Order: sequence, then structure tokens, then C-alpha cells
Amino acid sequence: MIALSPFLYFVDPILRGPTVGCMLMCCAAALIGVIVFLRKQSLLAESLSHASYPGVIVGVSVAGAFYFNEQQEGIVTLFILLGAFVSAFIGLWAIHFLEHRLKIRPDAALCFILSTFFGIGLTLASHVQFEYPLFYRQVQGYLFGQAATMTDFHIAIYAILTFIVITTILFLYKELQVISFDREWAKTIGLNTRYVDIICFVLIVLAIVIGIRSVGVVLMSAMLIAPASAARQFSNKLYIIFPLAAFFGLISGYYGNYLSFEGSLPTGPMIVMVASAICIFALFFAPERGLLLRLLRIAKFRYRCLCENLLKEIWRHGPDKTITFDQIIQYQAVSSFYIRWVLAQLVHNGWLEEPASNTYKLTHDGQLWAAKIVRLHRLWEVYLADYIGVGVERVHRNAEEMEHIITPEIEEELTLLLKDPKRDPHHQPIPPKEDL
Amino acid sequence: MSPYAGTNFLEFFLVLFSRIKLFLSGQPVELATDEIQILVLAGVAASSALVGTFLILKRMTMLANSLSHTILVGIVIAYIITFQNFHSIDITTMLVASVVMGILTAFLTEFLTKTARLQEDASTGLVFTSLFALGIILVTLLTRNAHIGTEVVMGNVDALHRDDCLLVYAILLLNLFLFLLFFKEYKITSFDPALARSLGISTLFFNYLLMVQVSATCIGAFRAVGVLMVLALITGPPLIARFYTHNLKTLLLLATTIGILASLIGVALSRHLLSLYGIALTTGGIVVCVISFIFILSLTTKLRSRI
Repeated sequence: MIALSPFLYFVDPILRGPTVGCMLMCCAAALIGVIVFLRKQSLLAESLSHASYPGVIVGVSVAGAFYFNEQQEGIVTLFILLGAFVSAFIGLWAIHFLEHRLKIRPDAALCFILSTFFGIGLTLASHVQFEYPLFYRQVQGYLFGQAATMTDFHIAIYAILTFIVITTILFLYKELQVISFDREWAKTIGLNTRYVDIICFVLIVLAIVIGIRSVGVVLMSAMLIAPASAARQFSNKLYIIFPLAAFFGLISGYYGNYLSFEGSLPTGPMIVMVASAICIFALFFAPERGLLLRLLRIAKFRYRCLCENLLKEIWRHGPDKTITFDQIIQYQAVSSFYIRWVLAQLVHNGWLEEPASNTYKLTHDGQLWAAKIVRLHRLWEVYLADYIGVGVERVHRNAEEMEHIITPEIEEELTLLLKDPKRDPHHQPIPPKEDL
Repeated sequence: MSPYAGTNFLEFFLVLFSRIKLFLSGQPVELATDEIQILVLAGVAASSALVGTFLILKRMTMLANSLSHTILVGIVIAYIITFQNFHSIDITTMLVASVVMGILTAFLTEFLTKTARLQEDASTGLVFTSLFALGIILVTLLTRNAHIGTEVVMGNVDALHRDDCLLVYAILLLNLFLFLLFFKEYKITSFDPALARSLGISTLFFNYLLMVQVSATCIGAFRAVGVLMVLALITGPPLIARFYTHNLKTLLLLATTIGILASLIGVALSRHLLSLYGIALTTGGIVVCVISFIFILSLTTKLRSRI
């Protein structure tokens, strides 16, 4: 295949159909995906996308029965969309019936409807293969998505549907927000949750019906899940998540189509691969919530705790004393290699000095820091013993954690509340604030 | 020429019985294609029903859904390793692939939920769709033929071979063996995880073991009914059986019987449609239709008896 410039993908009369079509579909799916994600219904979307498959086949058969031929693709597409919409709704009703009337657990109900509808769809498909062989190729495209044969007419249909999705979300933005985050409160302020729920279901089915042409019924749920999950990693705010998810959807639609065209691979899997790559990247590297940065933050905190514990240990022997490495590691649970490295860092940063090798002594700054930690530790012990009523013998362990967490503001409040105590519950002196 | 050619639904069973009688009386009988289909489908249905009963009791069917998708990658990798085409089957490689994929899927889903803190439904959905997409791409790249992708999803009963029976029954035996061996453990972990913990039975271990069994079942089924329709065989019969009984042993037996019965009826029905109306439908799909029909039938009788 010839490598084409990205711009050409939007202008070329043959290429622009698939490109714009995929992007529109993925955009609509990503927007609805946010709703699905917040309502924790990803697996429902999975079932419904499979449940739409028999509708696709029935649509084709009906179109075939009315003697439309494959040249009138527009009308056939309309039949397919209608069929998919109806059968996904029947699937939704069936799941609801199984769950609420028969008390079948949600996971089993979803799985059963998914597989039986899909099985019925495949049986019908084998009939279509026999009866209308020309349509069959087109129908197979709906399994894994086939964008290549989309025309301007398709773009028009999908643009209208996408427009409907976007305007509905804009109109119902407030209601969606309230219902997704606090259902009970939504009820108390008199919102008709049932009504919004129904609209949500219609939107989900609509997004699936729009999407199955480019992504395919088998993988459709990925396009609802992946962009929304990725967008959620970057923000807590709904008004940011929606556009961000749509943006991720657009990117995956464009590149998925591009890669599938260049490598002549099925469109759906390529779009899904791009979307999941974005999502996995976001899961690892997003600021705040990303796994890597979270681990980094944890490691940094642990490092600081260890620093403070070591300084405290040296201070315990006496602020001006010089002590050996063996005395330091006596009560530490961390490996001695690591402690040696941390000590070297502390010396380097001017908290400690090393008069002779393997012996350590606090500098003036180091003494202040250690005294501050000890003060926090003992203040907290006083608080626990006097105010919470924890037994004196049990306060130490908790204070050992809290001393790393207490902020200057909390320290201020504790000092005020406890009237600047001089002794902790174990009758050890608390380093006074003025000295620090 | 198949002895079943041109038979209708009842004649099919007549021919089948007469041939079984012939076989039992010691005369050499060559297996016809329809009989291979019945054998394979019944084996798959029995395995699925057994595994499915515990999946439903443990509320883990959505993990089975994940597995049925991800197993495709396992199949492709097994194919790369053995450098054989899909028509000859190396049982060991297939089983190893299924074990690896079963554990990998469960592990990845758990990793995304626990470590990457993605909500559970989203991580389940993300893992299996991505792996399935990867599988489809690999298949297309390897074979340059998108039809194999469809065949893995739809299954093709007509391409079944006598060797398929071996794989299917090896898996059925494995399932039977494990369930007989660990029946008590499975029962306790399904119904009362707290009791299991206090007795020192690891629920986690048996969940993983069940996952492995599910993926073995899927891999045994993919040539006959495809990786997705096997889900109907897994969830359908136990759900139907639950209309009639709440006793675990009866449930297992009934579910297995329903599964086998459905596959028998499915093959006969498929032959019936072909000989009388000249309509060739996929047999795997018909089996699924039969199961949903039985489900609706049991449902209506149950609802009526309630009134």
C-alpha cells in the first residue's frame, strides 16, 4: 500500500468516507462510554452489542425480501440500523426480565443473553449466506467492522446520529451529572430518574448501533470503555472527561482506520488496539492517578519516612553524640545496604556529618529536623492518651506513623488544644516549639 | 455418502438407533460425519454444563466471557508454536495454551482492578476486547485470510474430524476428574467462602482452577461452535436446570443432560432442515437456538405453574 499524507484521508473521495465515518462513530461511542463507565455498565454494553447482531441479519433479510439489491446500499444500511436497534432493545428487555422477574444474577443473565442472541444471529447469518450471498459479505463486515466501503451517504447517516447523541448529552448534562454521582440525592430533589435512565439506555443502544459498522459487534464494547477509562485518568471533572473522551475516540477512529488501510487489516480490531493503547498509556502515565507516578509518590514518601526514622534514631542516643552504623541499624527493618545509601544521601544534603567512616553525627539542621519529628510523635501520643482515651501502652505504634504525616497546621492546633504540654504519656520531655 | 442423507427429524433418530444397535452387536461401523458432530457437540456440551454450573454459582460467568474472547490469542500462539495448520491438533500444546491464557486473563483483570485501580467492569471489558483484537489481527497477519477469524468465532461443525473427538473427550475427562476429586472443595467455595477459609480451603486457588477448566473447555469447543457460542452452552443448561432443582448433584446431572440433549436435537434438526427444505444452517447456531427454546419453554411452564 502507498503511504498517504494524513490530509489526503479527509479529501480523497474514496478515503474520506471510512475516515470521517470511523471518527464520527468513535466520537459518539466515547461520549456515551463516559455515561456507561460512570454507571458501571460496561458489561451491559458488551451484551447489548452482541445482542444487536441478529437485528443486523434480520435487517438484511428484510431488505433482501423487498428486492433491494446491494447497489442500493443506503436503504439496506437503514434497514440494518433499524434491525440492530430493535434487537438490542429486545436484548435489553430480556436482560431486565431475567434479572428482575426471575432473580437470575446479573452476570449470568448478561452472559446468557449475549451468547444466545449471538448464536441466533449466527444461525440466521448462515441462512443469509445461502439465500443472499451478495449481502453476506456485507453482513460479515459487521462482525469485526469494515470501514472501507463507506460512502458519503453513510457519513450523512452517522453524522445525524452522532449529532443526536451530542445534543442529548448537552441537554441532559446536569441530570446525567447528578444521577451518575448521587442517585439518592437526585431522587430527593425530584428528578425523574426513571426517565433519565430510559434516555441513557436509548443512547447506549444508539451508540452501539452507530459503532458496529466500523468496529463490529464483537468488539464494540471496547470503544465505549477504553476512551472513557483513559479520560477518567486525567480528570475528576465531568466537563473535562466528556471532551477528553471524545478526543481520544476521534484519535483512535482516525489512526485505527489509517492503520487498517495501510496494513489491509480488519478495521475494528485496529481501532480497538489504538484505543486500548491510549488507555493503557493513561493508566500508567497519567498525572495524579497514573500507576507509575503513584508508585513514585509512594516510594518518595517511604524514603522520607526512612530519613526521618534514621535521624530520630541518632537523636535518641543524644543530639550531639556520634554513633556507629551498627547502632543505627539495630532497630531498623530495612536492608542495611539501602540504609547505608540513605545515610550517604543525608550526609550529602547536610543533615548528617560523618566524622570517621561508619560513624554519624547530626548537624545543626539535622538536630532541628529530628527534634521536630520527636515533638510531633510525642504530641500525638499525648493527644491519643488524653483526648481519644487510648491506653498509654498502645499509643506508640500509631504515633510512629502519624509523625510523618502531621502538617505544621495540625501541629499548631494540637499545641493549642493540648496547651503546649511538656511531657508525653511516657514522661519523656517534648522538645519545645521555640527551640525548633 | 452419509447414511443420514435425506432423513428428516424422526428418521434421523431411527437411523442413529439402528446404527448404534449395529455397533453394539459387534459389526464394524464407520463413523459418519453426523455422528462425529454429535459426539463432539455432546462432549463440548457436557464439559460446558459442568463448568458452567459452578461458574454461575460462583457468579463468575463474566470471566468466562472474557476467557472465551482471550482464548483466541492462545489458539494463535499455539498455532505459531507448532507451525501446524488449524486442522491438525496437538492436544498438549492446546491444553498448555489454554492454561496459560486462563491464568493470564484472570491475572491481567485483577492487575488492572487492584494495582492500576480501574473499576472492575471496565478492566474486565478492556482486557478481553484488547486481547481479542490482538488475536484477530494476529490471525489476519498470519493467514492473510480474514475468514479464519470468522470461523474461529462461528465454528464450523462440518470441518470436524475424528481427531477432534480426542481433544474434546480428553478435556471432558479432565473436567470430570477434577470435579470428582474436588467436588467437596468446589461445593464449599461456591456456597460458603467464609467456611472454606476457616477450613483452610483456598477460594482463590479453586477460582483459578475453574478458570483453567473454562479455558480448556473453550479451546475444546472453538472448532465446533466457535469461542462465543460456547458461552451459551456454558450458561444455558445450568440456568435451565435451576428452574427444576436446587440440589447441586441433580443440577449438575440435569444441566449435562440438557446440554447433550440439545446438541443431539441440534444435529438432527440441522439435518432435517437440510433434507426437507434444502436450507443449510450452522449446526452450532442451531444448538444454541435449541437451548434458548428449551429455556423459554421451561420459563413459560414455570411461570404458569406459579399462577
